[in-house]
Amino acid sequence: MKRVAALLFIAALAVLLLYVVSRMPPMGDPETPTATHVIPRYLEKAEEETHTVNVITGVILNYRGYDTMGEVTVIFCALAAVLAVLGRERRGVIHGFVDRSEVPSSTIVRTMVRFIVPFIILFSVYTILHGETSPGGGFQGGAIIGGSMIIFTTIFGLYESSRRIPLKVRAPLEGAAVMGFFLVGTLGLVGGGNFLTYAWPRVAQDLHPSLVVWLTVLVEVGIGLGGAMVLTSILFAMIREEEEIATVS
Amino acid sequence: MRLFHNYHYAAAMLLFCLGLHTVIVRRNIIKKLIGLNIMETSVFFFYISLGYLDGGIAPIRVGGADPARMVNPIPQALILTGIVVAVSVTALALSMVILLYRQYGTLDVDRLMREEEPEAVESGKED
Amino acid sequence: MGAWRHFPIFMITVPLLGAVLLPFLGYAKERWVPYVALLPLGASTLLGILLIGRIPSGGYLSYHMGGWEPPFGIEIRLDYVGLFLMLVVCGITFLALIYSRRYIDKEVSPGRRTAYYVLYLLMSGAMLGFVATGDIFNLFVFMEILALSSYALVAITGNRNAVRAAFKYILMGAPSSIIVLLAIGLLYSVTGTLNMADLARRIAESGYTEVLIVSYILLVVGFGVKAALFPLHMWLPDAHSIAPSPISALLSGLLVEVCTFALVRITFSVFTLGATDLVMGTADAVGVAAAAAVLYGGIMAILQKDLKMMIAYSTVSHIGYIFLGLTAFTAEGLTGAMYHMLDHGLAKACLFLCAGNFIYMKGYRRIEDLKGAWSQMPWTCFAFALASISVIGIPPTAGFISKWYLILGNVEGGKWLYAVVLLAGSILAAVYCFRILYYMFFQAGKEGAWEESWHDAPPAMLAPVWVLSLATLFFGVFSSLLIPSLLRAAAYLL
Repeated sequence: MKRVAALLFIAALAVLLLYVVSRMPPMGDPETPTATHVIPRYLEKAEEETHTVNVITGVILNYRGYDTMGEVTVIFCALAAVLAVLGRERRGVIHGFVDRSEVPSSTIVRTMVRFIVPFIILFSVYTILHGETSPGGGFQGGAIIGGSMIIFTTIFGLYESSRRIPLKVRAPLEGAAVMGFFLVGTLGLVGGGNFLTYAWPRVAQDLHPSLVVWLTVLVEVGIGLGGAMVLTSILFAMIREEEEIATVS
Repeated sequence: MRLFHNYHYAAAMLLFCLGLHTVIVRRNIIKKLIGLNIMETSVFFFYISLGYLDGGIAPIRVGGADPARMVNPIPQALILTGIVVAVSVTALALSMVILLYRQYGTLDVDRLMREEEPEAVESGKED
Repeated sequence: MGAWRHFPIFMITVPLLGAVLLPFLGYAKERWVPYVALLPLGASTLLGILLIGRIPSGGYLSYHMGGWEPPFGIEIRLDYVGLFLMLVVCGITFLALIYSRRYIDKEVSPGRRTAYYVLYLLMSGAMLGFVATGDIFNLFVFMEILALSSYALVAITGNRNAVRAAFKYILMGAPSSIIVLLAIGLLYSVTGTLNMADLARRIAESGYTEVLIVSYILLVVGFGVKAALFPLHMWLPDAHSIAPSPISALLSGLLVEVCTFALVRITFSVFTLGATDLVMGTADAVGVAAAAAVLYGGIMAILQKDLKMMIAYSTVSHIGYIFLGLTAFTAEGLTGAMYHMLDHGLAKACLFLCAGNFIYMKGYRRIEDLKGAWSQMPWTCFAFALASISVIGIPPTAGFISKWYLILGNVEGGKWLYAVVLLAGSILAAVYCFRILYYMFFQAGKEGAWEESWHDAPPAMLAPVWVLSLATLFFGVFSSLLIPSLLRAAAYLL
């Protein structure tokens, strides 16, 4: 009965949404409202206004930088939330973990992972630093580092990987993205503009290109480091089984 | 007909309904979360399709690329935010699943919700 | 061009930054965290107070993030009502944070206390950003920070009922966020913009009526879940009653109001110009749901045995009040709704904190256990009584003023039936409130349930309660401070 009702509801919703689709502007048409209203300015002026070749990066970090500031806060919030639910390892009690994550694996797998992880991290550094000229950016790079940590941890176990990125390295960097944004935002104020102004009105016009690029890279690096550390910390929090947590009933 | 021309949107909407159905009907909470992720992904697909342009090129201004032919960068920028949000919600939900499984020993939502609440629970007392 | 132009953005970002910096202190000196966490909220409150009078009534303060003019960049758009609500948010979060320290020390295990304050600050900052923003996608981003932090704060004690309630909350809340995201996508597809003011203009010119209707309905449903509008309220009673009391106060007193306010913004400043018919059609449906909420919430509250559960159902009822004020589409109704957001926030926060006092001192949660509470905890009982009077809507308190305007607005809009429903809701409120007051003051408790001498909660937990309950009295007596400007602002919105 409940299943039938749910199915009917979903079917009605699907019909409604498909009807809406049939009334929407045609896809891929250069004359749709989305393609004609705000976009032309971004596409034509982004390079001179934001000094980033990649228009998407220009939109993410500059035109809509405030959204991205909210977004990095979301990641930080997710970490705080996961730690609030699962608890966090205390400083110096790494050895107290009951680690059930270690997977028995062959020498070939271990050697390959040990060999490949540094290259993955190198690639992520490239992704972070080249965000403004090519596809990529802080989030993507941070996610790649997070992925490499997942690979490493599944093969070598929590103990090995949390020894490589210990708490005292992760903890200060987790908020790096938010702090980077706040720093750049406030500097924009000092430079005579609004919050998150990259091209400071108080400095000479011809200094803008390098200034904006440096600030952009600063934010990108903050996002990349922060994202990577948050993902790693969430991973560690999820796979660890500390005595204290295990006994909460 | 417009519906068939907009087949990307139509597919996104169908996926959305599929995901919602999974969330509503499935009893396993992990499957519910998978349904949630299907819903999220369908909305991302919808957004990215919004930016599509016939014969469009990536919005990167290299080598004299023509701005008029570039696809819409805004949905891509928005959806980066959307993905991050989705990952965050999933991470939190999964960590709650870990805790729920430890405490109740089941992933069945009906059995979870049916379990009688002990009289006069005091929050925190059981820690 | 004074420095005050930049105040709104710092009101929002300072708590967020504080949340990021707090863990450092947590590692070094955990004892200080509860005190230092007050600083960012205090700073926000101060900045908000300094902004009073800077915003012309009927006008707004527009701040362009990054210096990009609106349709291209993100705008913070703060009108009189927005600033009013931001100040309410600042005030209540500040008071509940003062209250938190002792309560949290008792309820939350040591490893999670810093996380509690971090999430608390994130939630406060997100609420402020949520109210102030003028960009619809930015609204979504802040809604997500708000949602994530509230999910986690409900579960923070880590006991099994709390985690289950939080998970229920996620199962309702996360799909609703996705629905909102889908609706924003639909809106974007036919307008090509995300700025609210620009959206209003583009909607007026847009020919895609069907898409607009459906996106509006999806927005109402999405925010309706967050605001716990009647058929979508299932998560609320569990989450609000099981969360630690300061968090219950925030969820009940602020979060649902703020989400309702977002719906107000979307209805009145995005969809008004071109799409009046579709808004009206949806508003009729919402009005029916709200009327049902008033009655259902009231009846369920009477049936409850658990004190916090009762207050939570009372919130369901009061969300109905606010929505009935909005759907009246008259200046009085809108003013009543805004004022109800204020006094419901104050009164509900006060009730939940009082309930927290009982739990903290004696561990009592059930209504029956409150018999004779007066003999030991008179201060808490009096504050509870004052807040209850405001919830019922008896004259000297703010609750009376807002209900008066709500009923006036509905009568003026020709909706007599809803006016009767509002009155009936007050009677139900009287039933569930007076029962408790009768237990507290006129019944003898079980042997040994309460001490005979006064032994009330510590001052840090009594002071916030009393400030909140006196505030309901203050805003009832001096309603002329706010009502005229709210009426002007409401007339401007319509």
